[in-house]
Amino acid sequence: MILERLILSEVRNYESLDWMPSARLNVIVGANAQGKSNLLEAIALLGTGKSFRTSASGEVVRQSAAVATIFGEARQTASSARVRLGCRITLGSRSVRKTYTVNGHAARYAGYLGRMRVVSFVPGHLQLVTGPPSLRRALLNAALAQDSAPYYAALAAYERALTQKGALLRDAAPLDEALLAVYNERLVETGGRLMLARRAFTVELEERARTAYRSFAGASDGWLGLAYVPNIAFELPTDAGVQSAFRAQLQLLGAAERSRRAALCGPHRDDLRFTLGGEALAAYGSQGQQRTAVLAVKVAEFGFLEARSGDAPILLLDDVLSELDSERRLAFLQALGGYGQAFISSTGPLEVPDAAVYRVRAATLDQVA
Amino acid sequence: MLNRPRAEAQSLADAIIAVKDRVRLCSRCFSLTEEDPCLICTDVRRDATVLCVVAEAKDIYALERTSAFRGRYHVLGGLISPMDGIGPAQLRVKELIDRVAREGPREVLIATNPNAEGEATALYLSRLISPSGVSVTRLAYGLPIGGDLDYADEVTLAKALEGRRAL
Repeated sequence: MILERLILSEVRNYESLDWMPSARLNVIVGANAQGKSNLLEAIALLGTGKSFRTSASGEVVRQSAAVATIFGEARQTASSARVRLGCRITLGSRSVRKTYTVNGHAARYAGYLGRMRVVSFVPGHLQLVTGPPSLRRALLNAALAQDSAPYYAALAAYERALTQKGALLRDAAPLDEALLAVYNERLVETGGRLMLARRAFTVELEERARTAYRSFAGASDGWLGLAYVPNIAFELPTDAGVQSAFRAQLQLLGAAERSRRAALCGPHRDDLRFTLGGEALAAYGSQGQQRTAVLAVKVAEFGFLEARSGDAPILLLDDVLSELDSERRLAFLQALGGYGQAFISSTGPLEVPDAAVYRVRAATLDQVA
Repeated sequence: MLNRPRAEAQSLADAIIAVKDRVRLCSRCFSLTEEDPCLICTDVRRDATVLCVVAEAKDIYALERTSAFRGRYHVLGGLISPMDGIGPAQLRVKELIDRVAREGPREVLIATNPNAEGEATALYLSRLISPSGVSVTRLAYGLPIGGDLDYADEVTLAKALEGRRAL
């Protein structure tokens, strides 16, 4: 995917911007708080409807404005098919509303997501191995939801049913057992699909990541391993297999869920486990090895999305290359050798070949190389 | 409004007052009506063996426009959503169960929206009503008429495949 034109209105510190980026590498340099990350965030929002910095999308709207608009024209690398995307964030009196357009027509989020795929890499991702499980679930969801509309639909339905079940357990007195059974059944049906998709995805991700890790670190480190750790263990990777395991676990924890008034089991508690040469990477790996593993996983995520759609996703590297030593930086960019278009932000000058370099100052872009 | 004749403003004001004074809920189906019971509930030509459950009164008008449904209605007054503090007790669920027991329809058709809350409400009602032996049905999901397979979203298409039927 190539983003050919980006138009912003009232987005973060950009009052307005109309920009035609390079089809290859775009390096955006500037001091802090000038609008580097805001630009990358806007591209992520355009592709996924979500910011990689905040879950409160209202923050994206420029101060004293009520509506932020991000508009983009993108082209598929292989087929040259074009798509025009629009994402608008409107501040209401009590809520924030996001609306989408595809080629000028209003679209629902489910029909919007996946039109322009992006892989973002931000400093927070560097904690992927050692940080909380939510980071690793976010990795699973970011890749799978962009790849598959049915996955996103199952995820949205699962999260909704989970919220409803939580509210029911917390507030309802006496507890309506029939209603609890309805939400549990919705969780089993949609959660089962998430578990199967995550399992298959992790197998592919591991294969790609271990190749990438070896190319970064050589053979001395041993193989990188990546395993899906479902909250609900299942033996048969089939619809019936995961569903019966999920039902059995709900049955087992039924009393605990009632007394603690919370949903205690399901894929919202899934995790991934990293190993190196068979040892747990979070506990026994060096910081350098953990960081290399993150780079390998990002390369793998990129490769997965590229292979599935036959088109390289747009790569967003927000202030992350400066966190790497020059050797790793080069190896990383080389591993992504086939990448299509990339956006890299940095406070200092970056030595990367063949890049269009822009300097950003107070939300104004100037091409300097 | 300031530029319009006074009579126009008066008739608008009268209309608003008339809505307030005359429109109320039907004591049987809880639809909006000026006469109680409403015209649909009292129409003897309507099929008493099929009862269609909708979330809001406005859904009745949508279904009536099709002229394809000849049964009667029951308005829940919303959808179950614990996160918004709406449980079965806040809706006309008990009234529905009583009505099914009293009127003994052959079929209860649940016509809630195909979203998360509509789906959960339908499943819940089905759990309550099915044990009594009444057949509980749900509106079909599928492709829009005149639509194009190529442009259908995958989720709708998958639902349409699931709900396919013999020709």
